[in-house]
Amino acid sequence: MPEDPYSLIERWMKARSFLVIGKSVTRADAIEKILGRAKYVEDFLDGALFAKMVLSTEPHARILGIDDSAALRIKGVRRVITARDVPGINEVGYALPDQPLLADKKVRYIGDTVALVVADDFEAALRGAEEVDVKYEPLPHILDPLEAMERTDVLIHEENGSNIAFRTKVRKGDVEEGFSKADVVVENEYRTHRQDHIYLETEAALAVPGLDGRLTVITAAQHPHLAQKIVAKVLGVNWSDIKIIVPYLGGGFGGKDDEGPLVAAKAALAAYLTGKPVFLEYTREESILVHPKRESTIIKYKSGATNDGKLVAAEITIIHDTGAYANRGPFILWRATVHATGPYKVPNVKVDGYAVYTNKVPQGSYRGFGNPSAQFAAESQMDLLAEKLGMDPVEFRLKNLLRPGDDTATGQVLEDSVGIAEALEKLAKVADWKRKRETYGKDTGRFRRGIGVAVAWHGISTSRGVPDWSNAYLKVERDGSVTVHTGIVEIGQGSPNSSHRQIVAEVLGIPPEKVKVVYGTTDAPDTGATHASRGTTVGAIGPFIAAAKVRERLERLASELLHAPVEQIEFVNGIIKVRGTDKQITWEKLIDEAYKRGVEVSATGYFFLPKGKFDDEKGRGFAYPAYSFIAMIAEVEVDTWTGVTRVTRVWPALAAGKIINPQQVEGQIEGAVAQGMGYVLMEQFVFDERGRILNPNLTDYVIPTALDMPQVMKPVYVEDLFKYSPFGAKGVGEMALIPAPAAIANAVAHALGIRFTQLPLTPERILLTLRGEK
Amino acid sequence: MYYLLPDFRFVKPETLREAFRELETEGAAPIAGGTDLVIDMKVGRRKPDKLVYIAHLPELNGIRDAGDSIVIGAVTKLQSIVDSELLRKHAPVLPEAVNEMASWQIRNIATIGGNLGNASPAADTAPPLYVLNAKVVIKGLGTERVMPVREFFVGPKKNALRKGELIQAIIVPKVAGEGVGMSYVKIGRRQAFTLSIVSVATLVKVEGNEIVDARVALNAVAPTPVRAPHVEEALKGSKATAEVVMKAAEEVLKDISPISDVRASKEYRRLLSVALTRESLLTSLRRAGVKVEV
Repeated sequence: MPEDPYSLIERWMKARSFLVIGKSVTRADAIEKILGRAKYVEDFLDGALFAKMVLSTEPHARILGIDDSAALRIKGVRRVITARDVPGINEVGYALPDQPLLADKKVRYIGDTVALVVADDFEAALRGAEEVDVKYEPLPHILDPLEAMERTDVLIHEENGSNIAFRTKVRKGDVEEGFSKADVVVENEYRTHRQDHIYLETEAALAVPGLDGRLTVITAAQHPHLAQKIVAKVLGVNWSDIKIIVPYLGGGFGGKDDEGPLVAAKAALAAYLTGKPVFLEYTREESILVHPKRESTIIKYKSGATNDGKLVAAEITIIHDTGAYANRGPFILWRATVHATGPYKVPNVKVDGYAVYTNKVPQGSYRGFGNPSAQFAAESQMDLLAEKLGMDPVEFRLKNLLRPGDDTATGQVLEDSVGIAEALEKLAKVADWKRKRETYGKDTGRFRRGIGVAVAWHGISTSRGVPDWSNAYLKVERDGSVTVHTGIVEIGQGSPNSSHRQIVAEVLGIPPEKVKVVYGTTDAPDTGATHASRGTTVGAIGPFIAAAKVRERLERLASELLHAPVEQIEFVNGIIKVRGTDKQITWEKLIDEAYKRGVEVSATGYFFLPKGKFDDEKGRGFAYPAYSFIAMIAEVEVDTWTGVTRVTRVWPALAAGKIINPQQVEGQIEGAVAQGMGYVLMEQFVFDERGRILNPNLTDYVIPTALDMPQVMKPVYVEDLFKYSPFGAKGVGEMALIPAPAAIANAVAHALGIRFTQLPLTPERILLTLRGEK
Repeated sequence: MYYLLPDFRFVKPETLREAFRELETEGAAPIAGGTDLVIDMKVGRRKPDKLVYIAHLPELNGIRDAGDSIVIGAVTKLQSIVDSELLRKHAPVLPEAVNEMASWQIRNIATIGGNLGNASPAADTAPPLYVLNAKVVIKGLGTERVMPVREFFVGPKKNALRKGELIQAIIVPKVAGEGVGMSYVKIGRRQAFTLSIVSVATLVKVEGNEIVDARVALNAVAPTPVRAPHVEEALKGSKATAEVVMKAAEEVLKDISPISDVRASKEYRRLLSVALTRESLLTSLRRAGVKVEV
């Protein structure tokens, strides 16, 4: 038995030579204590220093010098930190090594962080930041990705030799041959825009040197272990010297996956250099100017079908304006490329993707991760093809949707867990689609009703063969309560506090009140990020397996104690009984017995997701272990006098495997509908000619209120179980945002008889289009 | 979130007289709700040396029946205007407009004098006050002036106050009655808690089937909120029909000079001005008892 503790003890007892045993190794706390730096409880009562960022005011410029003398003359300013003060590695790019934490040689967008001012209080920090004098030599800047692709005389990253940061491709069959069989072909260019996350809580970090024996950063991040890595890298210390704690988060939506580790690194750098606790929090304006945004895209899409309603080919070019740094742009582009056909069986596919640098705020992670724009294009095309074929949009989709055994655009066969066709069929009935589709769209008065449909898919886990795993510690305390440690964070979605508890409680047969999940800490094993809708589907496999291991051990113990075979033992609400008899023992008693009789009731739960390979050269292969699917029907009313669109009702249908907690899932759907609707109807940035965001505040970057919300109807669930997750659950968090732009745009097209290929559908765009002025 | 407020002195005068004296100093600014001013200070748009708090002064507060008019103190909270039975009865377009401003929380601290004094071209209290022919009472140390609200707006963020002066009150004539209808329509970028892209207030008086008086005012389409005399002239003496309204509303383009900004383009504001003038006039006519259909 490999896990048997006796054999392990015996083995190490036989050792004859040692690395450190028997030697005078200096105790870890010696230096700190001799130098008087060791901190005791009271030492942490000191107020933290405040850090403030100095941001670039130039879109593209060489930094000639940074004069901090005036800032340092301000009372209370302790230090001005620039790139040259970084003790470790300043480069912090996620996908490509292109991004400095603090700009060193150049700045590449208005909002690039140039320096940090650290002071005794926030007023001194803010005053100091105003006084730091950065000398720039302006360079020509580029804002348009199409122009950036063409030009090599102006390079945003010289070392790259081109402004194209990354390319992707997918190939299947032969598109030319495919189009030769097509009876109808539709070709369009779609444009989508940036979106800000507008989390209630902006980026923030409190770094405390020495807390819990390490540099501890309490920070707003979506992946504690990634924040740990970035902080350790910047400081040039071991990962184990850094502890990250992520408390409750005021929203993330992907934005804190990107910026979370960086705000942590900035605060940690200041704390490391001053030896004091340091607090850094972005203002709303800084948050908007600095952190990466939803992809802005240009998607050229050509697709064709035969008269009997079968898709035959799709040829797609996706251009992402990735802004000043690649950030996660390549991963976002990759996801967009693979999902660009929509969840359809298309025999001939050619997709090319380009992530292009410009001197604007970077592209980053945002709920849907490249997919809402891709599905907007795909699903607009589907409606246009259906129209040309004279077919109902639902009927046309049903003819082409993926079903078990079909292969995707990358050539991956999906054996099971493909419930989208059933979901769409059920949804169309529930929403009374046929009648409304025939009635609406015929209004001629001021207000025009429309109804639109869209479907979407979203790959579970990281893309391609990128390793993904789950892990957790679980221990049953002696009183029978259970503590679980996970790196999954509580970001408002509730998975550590709902699905994780439910899963552990289910496996152990105890009430959820007995389960405490400690989340968002690097003191748990690396569980991966809380992103990609993976909090439950991947994140909870760890607690699930750990609990299952303990359950096996306890079943054997119960069998002994109750004198019955294991197969007859059941665990129900804290009572362990022998089926069909009145023999039983309480959970608490069983645990007490386990402690007395040497049965270990702690375990790790580790699971490595099995994956295939993707061939980047050929653009074919394994993409994701499974997909979550969604269908959405949206009903709108457009005011032709003002151009204002009201989304009146939304019907969702999820094929996302087992629904662990319906209430939480509904919450995710409603929130995603709000964000998706805001994105389509009102949210947009206005840039000036230097790439500066002109509306970096909540006065002029407008997100929906409760009064803008449509009625979100009860979801239809098709539980198409996934074989590598707890109870078959797939991801949910991002799902309802992904088809929302397409469903709403399709409904508006139905209402007005006008197709919009560019978002957002602001009243202005609609009215000017209606009046032929745009 | 941490913002740097510029250095300033804060004074809370005991009396109105003392407030005037404090306001005589260079760089002094009155503050009541502060919902515009404090944000302006945080982002560095305004840097007053001294803030003179006035929201507690009884002479400036409250809604009072003055016979043929209603007097609204300058520091009256916006929500008090929404809730005022007196205003709902005699000048309903004002509570209707104010109810669309900001949020309940902000309306419970922001004041009507503040909204006027801030002199934004998009001030939402302006269109209803314009069509009500309301007046502003301006007080200084030993001085008093009364002027129409429309003359109080001088330019973007510029009002008619001289150094040491305050808005004491707004006088709203009681105009509601037989044959009178008024309404307010606003389009922002969402359904609540939003600034106007354009909003329109109208007031009509109908005798028999004839429009005998018509008043139209808009915000966010010129350096100040404006009345629309061309529309008003086209309506006065005309038949109270939808056709007349649809045509007369097009005249509004002669009365406005919108610009493009981060909220909307001038082209959209022009289209919206016509559409909202129509909508508001049709609603006002209906409220005046005329049957109109489009």
